[in-house]
Amino acid sequence: MAHVVLKDLVKTYGSFKAVNNVSLTVNDGEFVALVGPSGCGKTTTLNLVAGLTPITSGDIVIGERLVNDLDPKDRDIAMVFQNYALYPQKSVYKNLAFPLQMRKLPRDEIDRKVKEAARVLDMTHLLERKPRELSGGQQQRVALGRALVRDPAVFLMDEPLSNLDAKLRVQMRSEIKRFHQDLKATIIYVTHDQLEAVTMADKMAVMNGGYLQQYDSPAQVFAHPVNMFVASFIGSPAMSLIPLEASTANGNTVLTSAEGWILELSQLNARKVQRATTKKVVLGARHSTIKLHKSAAPGAIPAKAYTVEPTGDVTFVQAFLSGAIVNISVSPNIAVAPDEQIWLEFDQERTHLFDGETEMALKAD
Amino acid sequence: MSTIAETASRGQTRRRSVDGWQWAGRVFLLFMLLYTALPMIWMLITSIKSGFAATQFPPQWWPDEPTLASYQKLLDPQNSVGQDFLRFFWNSLFVSTVTTILSVIVAVPAAYAFSRFSFPGRNFLFFAVLLRNMFPAVIFLVPLFILMRAIGLVNTHGSLVLTYLTFGLPLAIWLLKGFYDNIPVQLEQAARIDGATRFQAFILIVMPLSTPGIIATAIYSFIGAWNEYIYAYTFLSKNDQLTLPVGIQRFFSENTTDFPGLMAASFMMSVPVVVLFLVLQRYFVRALTEGAVKH
Repeated sequence: MAHVVLKDLVKTYGSFKAVNNVSLTVNDGEFVALVGPSGCGKTTTLNLVAGLTPITSGDIVIGERLVNDLDPKDRDIAMVFQNYALYPQKSVYKNLAFPLQMRKLPRDEIDRKVKEAARVLDMTHLLERKPRELSGGQQQRVALGRALVRDPAVFLMDEPLSNLDAKLRVQMRSEIKRFHQDLKATIIYVTHDQLEAVTMADKMAVMNGGYLQQYDSPAQVFAHPVNMFVASFIGSPAMSLIPLEASTANGNTVLTSAEGWILELSQLNARKVQRATTKKVVLGARHSTIKLHKSAAPGAIPAKAYTVEPTGDVTFVQAFLSGAIVNISVSPNIAVAPDEQIWLEFDQERTHLFDGETEMALKAD
Repeated sequence: MSTIAETASRGQTRRRSVDGWQWAGRVFLLFMLLYTALPMIWMLITSIKSGFAATQFPPQWWPDEPTLASYQKLLDPQNSVGQDFLRFFWNSLFVSTVTTILSVIVAVPAAYAFSRFSFPGRNFLFFAVLLRNMFPAVIFLVPLFILMRAIGLVNTHGSLVLTYLTFGLPLAIWLLKGFYDNIPVQLEQAARIDGATRFQAFILIVMPLSTPGIIATAIYSFIGAWNEYIYAYTFLSKNDQLTLPVGIQRFFSENTTDFPGLMAASFMMSVPVVVLFLVLQRYFVRALTEGAVKH
């Protein structure tokens, strides 16, 4: 196993910058998820690490070696592809043996390693089948087997679960996590599904528009998103972002809405708002940090319920506030009807404040 | 459950069988079958007639005295007609085979490059390759003849091979490119990560997957070269170099035409093509429809 360092990585296609000065370090044995919406540059970044796409500028270090100009075969990596990329004309056995044959291992050693990998992944009975005779989950497992059979320094995974159905995806998610724990493998995992990233990774690198937005543990990213993009991308349902305006009332900093209501701020939040570049401030609140009142309460803002979605454990209520959709989760025993008048109270300790101009999180100091 | 399904499907068949469109389709297919098969049948019947029976009027639908004399004559190396025929056959086989092999050798890497690499002028080159197919082949007859004379290839089989490649390659490349477009690039990427060089990935992974496409391309080149007449007629004048389509002409002469001999030769000329097609047709159909629908 080895660590991976990306330094000022850039990839341009003509005038289009697919990857913009991405720098990050993946420590030995760490599971890092590259996450972001489609077209954000995450797969390109992975292909740069794999050597499938030449880099425009920057450095990639795997282990202690600078691999910028090395062929994929010389980088000591293994990759699992979204469509598995199993060799259709070869049996499972030959698929697993292929990387070992290319490394000119003796035949009996190949046989031993292939059977060992098959045993680990519980597919000994599938060895003679062709890929098309396997189910999606089995194909996925063969792809994983082909990656682990030769014990590479780094595993690269490109959306390995996105072709599976929902149930199998959850199952394979825990299998891959288990695989990481058992092998202490260094894994770089690309996904557009923030839930996969949050549940599996030690660290997540959130990307957008070719830029690395934030690189931290899932808990940190969740609790302290650096900007509005990260805030809205991580977490489900998405964080509500309400555009407001800063002003002063009775000497205190408050937020006012175009709808006419005023939100008074705690001292800490007031200090944050004062640091905004303009008067425009965006209030961010996750569904669980908003309290729903059925009658007027001090500090609560009037709103109208728009839709009500019971999920069993919790009921999600959506309302419009200052032109933005606000998600609130309530206990299922609180009955809310669409179009009902409600009052919303924000937990000032857990709200987020963003600069309406730069979209960056506002900090108190 | 099964009875319900059976009744349902039987009901459907009955409903479909009164469909006028289906009958129209059948009539059309029958017509096409007769249209294509009757000349072949007539060729076969004529080839086993005697010379007199072949020109009789009203025609004999089935010869009174069927004979294989024409075939014996053609295949007899002692006979001058047989010597000529066998030589022409060999010439055709040689030219077609060389054309086919060269065409595959050139078309496979070219198609792969068009499919996988982006290089300056890629689109221009690709359409330039197809541009040839927009003109009838005859237009190039005189220029190519002058060219062949200039480089001293007139009266050699090389002139034909070169010409057939010029005409066959564009479609061969185009056909194969479609094939490579349908092979996921991730397979090569996986192979390269698994330790193969780019070339090994092509030879070990991509080539086996594109066998049907290569076979279709080969058949296409072979048939094109095997049947070609006008260039062979123009470029070759020495008797011992003629190919079959030109050579068969010799059965026509000023005063008489040996129709049974002509038809027997025609039949034998069609044998390699038919055999090739029958053996490899499943690849051919697959290649032409590949990528039409998502699997």
